[in-house]
Amino acid sequence: MQALLELNGINRSFGAIRALEQASFEIREGEVMGLVGENGAGKSTLVKIISGFDDGYDGEFKVDGVQVRFPTPARAEKSGIAIAQQELSLIPAMSVAENIFLAGDRVPLAATRKELARRARPYLEQVGIESVDPELAVNRLSVGEQQLVEVARLLAREPRVLILDEPTAALGESDSARILAMVRKLADSGKSIIYVSHRLDEIFKICGRITVLRDGHSQAPRKASEFDVHSLVESMLGRELENMFPTHTPVERDRPLLDVRGVWPDTTVEPFNFVVYPGEILGLAGQLGSGSGDVLAAVGGVGETREGTVELEGRTFMPKSAKEAIAAGIAYCSDDRKLDGLFLGRPVRENLTSPAIGRFSTYGLIRRVTERALAMSNAEKFTVDIARMSTEAGLLSGGNQQKVALGKWLAIEPRIILVNEPTRGVDVGARAEIYRKLREFADAGGAVVFASTDIQEITGLSDRIVTFYRGMQIGEIGLEDISAASVLEQITHPFGPAVDLAGVAE
Amino acid sequence: MIAAARNAATNFVDRLVRDHSGLVVGLIAVFLAVFIAGMATAPNFLTIFNFKTIIRDAALVGIMAIGLTFVTLSGNFFLLSMKETAALSIICFATSMAAGNGFEISFLLTMAIAVAVGAAQGALIGLGGNPIIVTLGAAGLLFGLGSWWSDNLVVSFRRPHGAEWLGTGSFLGLPNITIAFILIAIAAELALRHTAFGRQVYLIGANRAAGRATGHENFAMAIKVCIIASVCSAFVAIAFSAQVSSAHVNYFSSEFGSSGDMTIMVIATVMVGGNSIMGGYGSTLRSSLGAIFISTVDNMMVLHGFNSGPRVLAVGLMIVFSIIVFALARRGARAQE
Repeated sequence: MQALLELNGINRSFGAIRALEQASFEIREGEVMGLVGENGAGKSTLVKIISGFDDGYDGEFKVDGVQVRFPTPARAEKSGIAIAQQELSLIPAMSVAENIFLAGDRVPLAATRKELARRARPYLEQVGIESVDPELAVNRLSVGEQQLVEVARLLAREPRVLILDEPTAALGESDSARILAMVRKLADSGKSIIYVSHRLDEIFKICGRITVLRDGHSQAPRKASEFDVHSLVESMLGRELENMFPTHTPVERDRPLLDVRGVWPDTTVEPFNFVVYPGEILGLAGQLGSGSGDVLAAVGGVGETREGTVELEGRTFMPKSAKEAIAAGIAYCSDDRKLDGLFLGRPVRENLTSPAIGRFSTYGLIRRVTERALAMSNAEKFTVDIARMSTEAGLLSGGNQQKVALGKWLAIEPRIILVNEPTRGVDVGARAEIYRKLREFADAGGAVVFASTDIQEITGLSDRIVTFYRGMQIGEIGLEDISAASVLEQITHPFGPAVDLAGVAE
Repeated sequence: MIAAARNAATNFVDRLVRDHSGLVVGLIAVFLAVFIAGMATAPNFLTIFNFKTIIRDAALVGIMAIGLTFVTLSGNFFLLSMKETAALSIICFATSMAAGNGFEISFLLTMAIAVAVGAAQGALIGLGGNPIIVTLGAAGLLFGLGSWWSDNLVVSFRRPHGAEWLGTGSFLGLPNITIAFILIAIAAELALRHTAFGRQVYLIGANRAAGRATGHENFAMAIKVCIIASVCSAFVAIAFSAQVSSAHVNYFSSEFGSSGDMTIMVIATVMVGGNSIMGGYGSTLRSSLGAIFISTVDNMMVLHGFNSGPRVLAVGLMIVFSIIVFALARRGARAQE
């Protein structure tokens, strides 16, 4: 069977860095090809070359057996290649239909809203959101639906190859399931799909074959059925990954370290109550909008609350700002490191010491040596490359950025770390390290509370789980009862019979 | 020492070639060619006296630009009320001097007003007010007050007076105002690099949300940086008044520098220095050098006999030029990592 796309011996360097070295790639008609690798393995570079965003490579690139070269994305699109990037490019205030036909080249110039909506419907159907009104403004949709609209827009250009780059990175479990369903549907209708993701469970669910990239080298594509999670991770890392999740250490639950009493974030239906003990990692499970992240923000002094208090080491209070929370020994790391987790334009060192400037200055003067030592020790603890201390944080890979965003909190020697989505957009290697660091922190007598929409993470890392559903606190699951099924039931259908979960559960 | 310097120079050239596009190198080369030709052909340019003139001319704009740089670096954009703060300050100082108060009292009175004016603007900005709107409003208010107070007349005070040392005095052959400029430039740069406050300026400027999340609130920061900018404005007003023994609200609107408008000149200086408008990147040293640079070009053009039109044009070109070069250069440096 002839490959639809075929790349051979692709080289691409940026300065001294070789992003791709003799890399090959192929995809056939109607196939879902998984493209996996750690951050920095060359996935984005390869995808950019295929979609015409990067023309600075050498090597062979064939479409239908004919040698091609795409100097611009528009040329790639002409050959039937479309890409949905991680960041959505929809215009929020415009309607779904208007967004789908944004380029305006496939619709009459003077089309009415109704006409646009009529033409948009088949594409919405293709991505499985026919129930969405095409005349609705895009900002009224959920993030998952927006993601699907983005794909619908690509389909409107009738591509043969569709590249999906981390389509579920920002989505909760049920929205992700819709994306996966869509991918299957599109593949059945004959489209070829290149699926880039860090979520290996998804890769196994939908991909026919998998291409692994490591350090710019590609491995020959293999059937997904020839891999299991373990062997796939191994071939991505090039070494054996010991357990992804560190082993649980027994927790003595006699006196809580933190007691959250009736904390009621503005965005949730009811106030929340839970405790966390020293040495414990507590997981808050819930989908997007469940309120699990909001309560963390509230306790971290960042979110708006109606009422409630927390008790930490005998002191009852409610932090009104991050400053107060920090003073009390509470570190809060949000789920969006680019928004408020990192100073992207500043050096890594300054990032690592940012919450604790007072600790290394006397009379307002910074003691450089002390600061450097503090930054170094935190960098080492979180295995951030110490040679890059003077590099701007924005230039690090996603995994390293997340390590810095989290690692900076060690500088205040917190009693408790609150973290929302600890490993969003982070590759497997860095994920395992982050989990290990959180466990070490707990083992040293601290406590960790994390919120996550990633079922694997919730079930693997938590010593105990509190579940949330649409702004309500549902229940609690002890270590011995933790399973994907038990968690999913509580966070997706807490009030009714559990319907078919086969699509999402392992 | 010389070897080290040569080494640094070759490193610099290497980096320039490696990091930057031909466009950047070309732009800089063209600019240097024009600059050197201008210097070589301008009569009396290469004299020590002329260099002293250049720095003295740069001093007043430079001091205000240093103050404004704190605002810009902290991500609070610009104060459009720089010259109006100076206008009110100069009226205050001259009126007080004319009333027979000594230099010290007049100085402290003026500074007190500047601190209050800066703190008020900073508080509004810190509470979430748009810096442009807040300071545009403040500009009208301050100018109106100064105009009203002085009846829109020149306020003069008689020589000899206690402020002459600042206005026209000199020390070891350098005008005192030049010395003040150098001292302020050094102090500001040290404060940015070595104090907790300076660090907070950069962090909050680089990402205000992350600043808040790590316990550095912009409210306090906005007040502090606006006070610094206002105080610098007031200082310049006092020094200028001391020089001319008089004051008028329009001194900083029409008779100043080549472009005539002090606020625009000060903002231009910050920009030409290559400070990021969005905050978080730059330094007061850049602004100081920007001031000297603009002053040098202006001086060269004066010596060549250009009148004010082309000189204003030159300042505009320098802003555009430096924005392009600094933006491209920074992008080049980042792409390498």
